[in-house]
Amino acid sequence: MTHAFVSQVSTPFIPRSTTTTESNKTGSWRFLQPRYDEKTAPCSAACPAGEDIARVEMLVAQGLFKEAWETILQENPFPGVCGRVCFHPCESVCNRGAFDEPIAIHTLERFVADTAMRYGLQPQRMALPPKSERCAVVGAGPSGLAAAYFLARLGYGCDVFEARSEPGGLLRWGIPPYRLPVPVLQWELEHLQALGVNIRCNHKITGGFLHGLKDRYAAVFLGCGHYKSPALGIAGEDLSGVEEGLPFLERVRSGDLPSLSGTVAVIGGGNTAVDVSRCALRLGAKVLMVYRRRRQDMPAFGHEIQMAVDEGVELMELWAPLSIEAHPDGFRLSLQKMEVVSEEGGRARVKPVPGETTAIVVQKIFKALGNTAEEPWLEPPGEIAPHILHLADTVVSRREDGLVVVYGGDLAARSKSVAHAIGSGKEAAMALDLYFRRGWDAIVEETARCRVGPGPSLSMEIYTGGDRCRRNPHVVAFEEINTDYFLYGPRIIQPRLLVEERLQGFSEIDLKVSAALAIREAERCFNCGVCNQCDNCRLYCPDVAVCRDTSPQGRHINLDYCKGCGVCVVECPRNAMSLVENETGGRP
Amino acid sequence: MELSVQDREYMCSGHVGCPGCGAAIAMRFVLKALGEKTMMIVPACCWSIIAGPYPQSTLKVPVLHTAFETGGAVASGVRAALDIKGDRETTVVTWAGDGGTFDIGFQALSGAVERNEDFIYVCYDNEAYMNTGVQRSSSTPYGAWTTTTPGQEWKKLRKKNIVEALVAHRIPYAATASIAFPEDLVRKVKKAKAVKGSRFLHIYASCPTGWRMPSELAVKIARMAVQTNIFPLYEVENGVRYTINYMPKGYLVREYFKLQGRFKHLSEADLEQIQQMVNEDWELLLRKAGVSPGAAGPVTKID
Repeated sequence: MTHAFVSQVSTPFIPRSTTTTESNKTGSWRFLQPRYDEKTAPCSAACPAGEDIARVEMLVAQGLFKEAWETILQENPFPGVCGRVCFHPCESVCNRGAFDEPIAIHTLERFVADTAMRYGLQPQRMALPPKSERCAVVGAGPSGLAAAYFLARLGYGCDVFEARSEPGGLLRWGIPPYRLPVPVLQWELEHLQALGVNIRCNHKITGGFLHGLKDRYAAVFLGCGHYKSPALGIAGEDLSGVEEGLPFLERVRSGDLPSLSGTVAVIGGGNTAVDVSRCALRLGAKVLMVYRRRRQDMPAFGHEIQMAVDEGVELMELWAPLSIEAHPDGFRLSLQKMEVVSEEGGRARVKPVPGETTAIVVQKIFKALGNTAEEPWLEPPGEIAPHILHLADTVVSRREDGLVVVYGGDLAARSKSVAHAIGSGKEAAMALDLYFRRGWDAIVEETARCRVGPGPSLSMEIYTGGDRCRRNPHVVAFEEINTDYFLYGPRIIQPRLLVEERLQGFSEIDLKVSAALAIREAERCFNCGVCNQCDNCRLYCPDVAVCRDTSPQGRHINLDYCKGCGVCVVECPRNAMSLVENETGGRP
Repeated sequence: MELSVQDREYMCSGHVGCPGCGAAIAMRFVLKALGEKTMMIVPACCWSIIAGPYPQSTLKVPVLHTAFETGGAVASGVRAALDIKGDRETTVVTWAGDGGTFDIGFQALSGAVERNEDFIYVCYDNEAYMNTGVQRSSSTPYGAWTTTTPGQEWKKLRKKNIVEALVAHRIPYAATASIAFPEDLVRKVKKAKAVKGSRFLHIYASCPTGWRMPSELAVKIARMAVQTNIFPLYEVENGVRYTINYMPKGYLVREYFKLQGRFKHLSEADLEQIQQMVNEDWELLLRKAGVSPGAAGPVTKID
C-alpha cells in the first residue's frame, strides 16, 4: 500500500504573499521607548520673567508674529519695554553661543512688540472667572504693574496707587527716552488698563494707609521701588548745585532740559549714574564718571557702559570722593585713589592708597548712588516666622487680621532690574492666588512647581495649565543639540544711530529691524527642547511607527510596532524627545 | 526637514528588521522616490528576511525573491517580460545587499550592466553578511571585526570599490547615497528613474546589530561616514562625468571608528593608517572629479 504525498492546498507556480506584516506586533521587542518630551531652553530659565523664548523664536521664524507676541504676554506684560531696556541674561546662556553666536533675543523681542504695536493688535486672552477678593497695589512701576496684570488675568480686581502724575515708575521717570520712548510704554499701559486694572495717579500712600485696608482689600502689594538716595557722607555734598541723579533724570523726562556746560562729575557706577552721564552729555556737558571701584565692578549693565564710553563719557575708575568745596568755577571735588585688595565673587574690594589724592574742578556734580526705600515701613521684614515667606523675588507677610502684604520689586527682588521686577509681580500674583484658593501652606510648594527649569523664574503658563505646562524642567545643554541640522550663520547686527546723531538729542538709539532680518535671525535659533514640527522623527523611523495625527503634537508613536531603536530621539535636532524605560512594560 | 517626496508609505510596519535597521530606512526612502509602479527583485540578503515570512510581505509593491547570485539576471528577465507585455511604465529594481552585489551576485550584475539592461540596481551596503551572522564580505572595511575575521584576525584588506567597478562598465548612471542624507538620496533615485539603461546606486545602510553599536546611532553613524570621507557622496554619469555632492568639514575618521564595537580593537597606529587610506581614496576621487584638493576644503590628517 502506497501513500503518495498530497498537498492539502493547491500549490501555485510561485508562492505569492497574501497579507502584510502588520499582524507582527513588533512593539513587543521594545525595552526602551521614545516619547515626545519638550524641555526647557537655557534662555527661558535665565529670563527673570520666565519667557518661553525658544517657542517665541520658533513662532517668529514661522512668521507668526501675533502668536509670538501673545506667547511673551503670557509671562510679561511689557515686551516693548523689555525689548529695549532688559539686560538680556538670556543671550549669555544661549546654546547657539557654543556653535557660532547667540541669538539676538533682545532685538527679536522688541521686533515682536513693535510689530504688534504697529498693527494695533489685541491679544487673545483666556478669561478666568472673576474672584471676590480685591487687591491694592502701591506703586505703578514695573513690579506693581506686573502684579496688577497677573492678578487681573487671574480674575482679581486691582487698584493701583501711584504718587506721581503718570504711571510707569522708573520706566517713565528713570529711563531716558533714547532708551525707551514714552509711546511704547503708553501702548503697553493701555493693554494693562484694558484688562480692568484701575490706576489712580497723584495718590501718595503713607504708612497709615496699611491700617484701614482690611475692609476694602484682601491683600496689598508694595512695589514702590527705591527712590531715596543715601548720603555720600562727605563734606560739601549738600552744597547747592550738587544734585541727585534720579530727580535729574525725572526732570529730563518731564521735558525740562537744562543747558549744561563745562565739566560735570557723576558719582556712582550704577545704571542711574550711566543714564545721568549720558543725559548730561546730550545737554552739552563734558562728563566724568567717578567710581570707587573698577569698570568691571560697576553694577550698571556692561553694554550701557560701553555706549556711554562710545558717546564720550570719561570713566575715572578707583577714585572715591573725599570732599566737595565751592570754587569760583563751580566745585572743587577732592578724590582719593583706591586700590584693589581682593575680589569677592568677581567684584573688587578696595582700600585707599595712602597719600594719593587729587582734586578736579567741575561745573556740576551729580550723586547717583544705589538707592534705598523711601520710608522704613516699606522695608520687608527680615525675620523668619511662620507668617512670613521669603520667596525668590518677594516677601509675603500675613498680618494677624488676615490681610496679606507682599513686598516686591526693588524692595525684595534678588536683583534690581525691570525683568526681575516683572518676575516679582508675577510671583506675588501667584502667591496671592494660591493663598486665596488653596491656603497659606500651598504657596511655597506650588510656586516651586511653576519654576522654569531649576528656577527661580516662574511661569504663568505652567501655573494656569497652558499648552506648554508639561514641559520638562530639564534645561537643554549644547551637547544635547544635534548640530548636524544647523548651518553656521552670522548674528543680526542691531542697527543704531551714529554717535554724532545720538548726541544731538534724545532720539531712540536702537533702530528697527526688518521682518525679513528678524525671521532670518529667529531661524538661527536651535529652539532648544521645543518641537517645531520638523518631522525628522517620522522621516527616519525604520518601522513606519511614527504616525501623523491631529493632536497639537501633530504625530504620535505607534507602540504596537515601535521597536524602541531610538533613532528618532537622536535625530531630533533640538532634544524635544526622550528615550525612556517602557511605560507599558513592552508588550502593548 | 521638507522632502519633495510623496507622503504615502510603500512599506508596512511589522517587518522583522532589527531595531535601528539602516536597510529598512533605505527602502522607505527609495520607494517613496520611485512610487507605486515599481517591481523589486530581492536576491538573498537581509531584506529576504525583513520583508516578512510567507505569506506576508511588508512592501506594497511586487517583490520577487530570488537566488543569491541572480540579481542582475532576474532583473533582465523581468524587464524583458514587462517589455513584451508593453509595460514601459514600471521600474525594475534589484535590491541586493553587499554580499549579493560585491561577491556572490557580481557576475550576474556585471553581465546585466554590460548589456546595459534597463533597470536600477540598488546595493544597500551594511558591510558584511549580516542576516547569516556577520561574516565578512568584500565590502567589509579594513579594520573590521566579523565572525569570520575574529580577534586579532580582523580584516586587513581593503573594501572593494564597487562604484568604480560599475563605472568601469561605462553605465549611464552610478551614484553613492546615504540614509543620513535623505534629500540627496531621494534626488538620486528620481534621477536614476528618469535615465534609461543600467543604473547603479550604492546606498550606505548602517547595521547596529552587526557593527556592535547602539541602535539609536544608526543614522548618526551614516552621517559621520560621509562627514569623515569614509563614504563620500558622489555620482558618475556615463562612466566619466564625476560630481561630488558633499564636501567634508574635516572630521577625523577615529570619531567614526570609536563609536562601533566592530572597530574597538584598533590601535592608534591602525587608526592613523586608516586615516591615510581614507585621505588617499578621497584625493583620488577629487582627481577624477577634477577638483583641486585645496578647493575641496580640508583633507584631514592625524597629528
